[in-house]
Amino acid sequence: MKPTPRMALLPRMLLAVLSAACLACPAAWAQLQIQITSGVTNPVPIAIVPFAEAPTDGTDVADVVQHDLVGSGRFTALARDRMPATPTDAAAVKFADWKATGTDYVVVGRVTPIANGQLAVDFNLLNALTGQSIARQRFTGTASALRNAAHRVSDVIYQAITGIRGAFATRIAYVAVAGSGANQLFQLVIADADGYNQHLILQSRFPIMSPAWSPDGQWIAYVSFENHLSAIYVQRVLTGQRTMVSMRAGINGAPAWSPDGRKLAITLSGVSGHPQIYTLDLSDQHLTRITEAPAINTEAAWAPDGRSIYFTSDRAGEPQIYKIGITPGSIPQRITFTDEYNAGPHISPDGKLLAMVTRDDSGNYRIAVQNLATGEFRVLTHGRLDESPSFAPNGATIMYAARPGQGEAGILATISVDGLTGLSLKPTQGEVRDPAWGPFIQ
Amino acid sequence: MSESARDRWLSYGMSVLLHGGLIALLAVGLWHFHHAAAPAPSVPINATVVDARTLKGIGSASTPAVKPKPAPPQTPPQPPVQGPPLPTPDELAMREQAAKEEAEHEAEAQQQLLARQQAEQAEQEAQRKAQAAAAAEAAQAQAAAQAKKLAQAKKLAHEEKLAEARKKAEAKKLAAEKLAQQRKLAEEKKLAEEQAAAQRAARVAELQQSLQEDQRAALASGALASWTSEITSRIQNAWIKPPTAQPGIECVLNVSLVPGGTVTGVSIGQCNGDDAVRQSIQTAVYNASPLPAPPDGIAFPSQLIITFKPTN
Repeated sequence: MKPTPRMALLPRMLLAVLSAACLACPAAWAQLQIQITSGVTNPVPIAIVPFAEAPTDGTDVADVVQHDLVGSGRFTALARDRMPATPTDAAAVKFADWKATGTDYVVVGRVTPIANGQLAVDFNLLNALTGQSIARQRFTGTASALRNAAHRVSDVIYQAITGIRGAFATRIAYVAVAGSGANQLFQLVIADADGYNQHLILQSRFPIMSPAWSPDGQWIAYVSFENHLSAIYVQRVLTGQRTMVSMRAGINGAPAWSPDGRKLAITLSGVSGHPQIYTLDLSDQHLTRITEAPAINTEAAWAPDGRSIYFTSDRAGEPQIYKIGITPGSIPQRITFTDEYNAGPHISPDGKLLAMVTRDDSGNYRIAVQNLATGEFRVLTHGRLDESPSFAPNGATIMYAARPGQGEAGILATISVDGLTGLSLKPTQGEVRDPAWGPFIQ
Repeated sequence: MSESARDRWLSYGMSVLLHGGLIALLAVGLWHFHHAAAPAPSVPINATVVDARTLKGIGSASTPAVKPKPAPPQTPPQPPVQGPPLPTPDELAMREQAAKEEAEHEAEAQQQLLARQQAEQAEQEAQRKAQAAAAAEAAQAQAAAQAKKLAQAKKLAHEEKLAEARKKAEAKKLAAEKLAQQRKLAEEKKLAEEQAAAQRAARVAELQQSLQEDQRAALASGALASWTSEITSRIQNAWIKPPTAQPGIECVLNVSLVPGGTVTGVSIGQCNGDDAVRQSIQTAVYNASPLPAPPDGIAFPSQLIITFKPTN
């Protein structure tokens, strides 16, 4: 039977409707705009599988790496007893098993001896969800450098996942005080950023204060009272070679290296005068007075651009942070207003944050940061007597000295700039103070 | 037609009856007249028994022509009166004389009476004739009048009938027309109603369809929005944002899915973020897998475009 036109129309109409419906499909999906504008700041779950190790000095590379990463506050590590396996290379990793533990990343590696008594540390950072290798690298060195190799592994992993350069393979300087009374011994110590691998570079029966790293990490400036008077020295870290750069009448204190490493900003009081900020040209000993106010002006910190200096002054009564240009005649500008006491400024490597000691209403001295652009002020620590904040070279962490309780020895601690993660570096002996975080090691 | 024929026959019949009636009346009149005239010679015989009053009563009788005189009363005849004792010859002679004279006198009186009676009769006859004529005339006139009246009545009746018929016809016609008009109106009304109903139905259907489409669209868009928000929330909660994911970073991911929402592939399209950002967003999408199920009637798309654009 030949279909009538009407009958023939129906399938055509259906077809038209269907095609119209199908044409609408992409439009419907086009409406499905998924835009992710925020995320969480949770630590990244990671599993550092124990490395296959040749006989070493006992350094557990995976453990060092885990300690670094977890200590940064940006990672959470899978406990070894929860690991589904202990593969040491990527081919042996069954990703589904690791994914099932909730781990996003798996680190596998091995330490193998190579020629000349050297060791090679190989690692592979794997994304447990995609199965992809994100970073793999080899570090070689002596057995004594194994920890440093581990820190360098940590740096790579940290950067791969956070986007920020790791600062684990960096050094710190601090003052340790051993003994008491007449037997008190002051030591200038250099250590890895995690507090290990300490090297004594100066020891004195008289106070040592305010160590400061040169921008290239080769020199340390400090104040020593070894001659019963305050004097400023610069010392070559590797050789111990040192030079006294200032021993003027009155106070010689608080040296700070200019970003270019050519000058020191120092505090001088002269005879019976108010402490003032000066710059000292290290090449020709030329001294330039920066501050003029008849008040205490001290604790200089250079802005990263080297054009201005932040300092503490009580010109308004209580100590506050001010900023002044290094060109003569510059007008100082008050920076802090939040609390009655703000002192000991330190500027983040990117120049955006000002770290300081602030005294709260209860009389606690704590580490705070102020956003220099917005003025946002945030207290990061919760101690009673926290002092001497110093930024890590990546700006992610601040190291400071803390005195946990009355009569207790001071310790070193770190706090992430968001205030979420803190870590204590307990020294093996005595009290520690005045930490200074060194620059990246080239 | 048949009515008019019947009417004609009726009028003929009526006319015949009328004429017949008239003729019968005339005949009765004539019969009465002759009947009355015929016994006249016997009047002297009965003269002694005729009571004047009777006569007078006869004479005073009116309209005998119209109404035939009723039959004489059935009263029994009066017994003969008892006369006096028989007279002497003289008396007889005298009586004869006297009788002769009286007879003469009586004859004369009788003659006079007869004359008078004749005159009276004539007069009565004349009167009767006149009366009859008048009556006839009257009857004729009456009949004519009646006929006329009848004719008129007939005519009137006819006319009335005609009028009535006309009226009836007209009424019928009117009724028919009215009926037709009513029917037409009803049909028009029905048609209009049907059309209106059809229009209403079409409108309702249209509205319903529109409503359904709107509802479907609303449902779909609402459900889509809700689903989108679920997916967004799930991924945002899974995205451990690296510090380098700062405002200004924008990365587009093409996500492959299988039914059930499991993410089977993530490829990074345009992206100005660093390796850490790339890793984090890929990891976030995989960690969000399986993605929440779409609303009913919407199949899981096999591809999903997700833009990471941190605002803080």
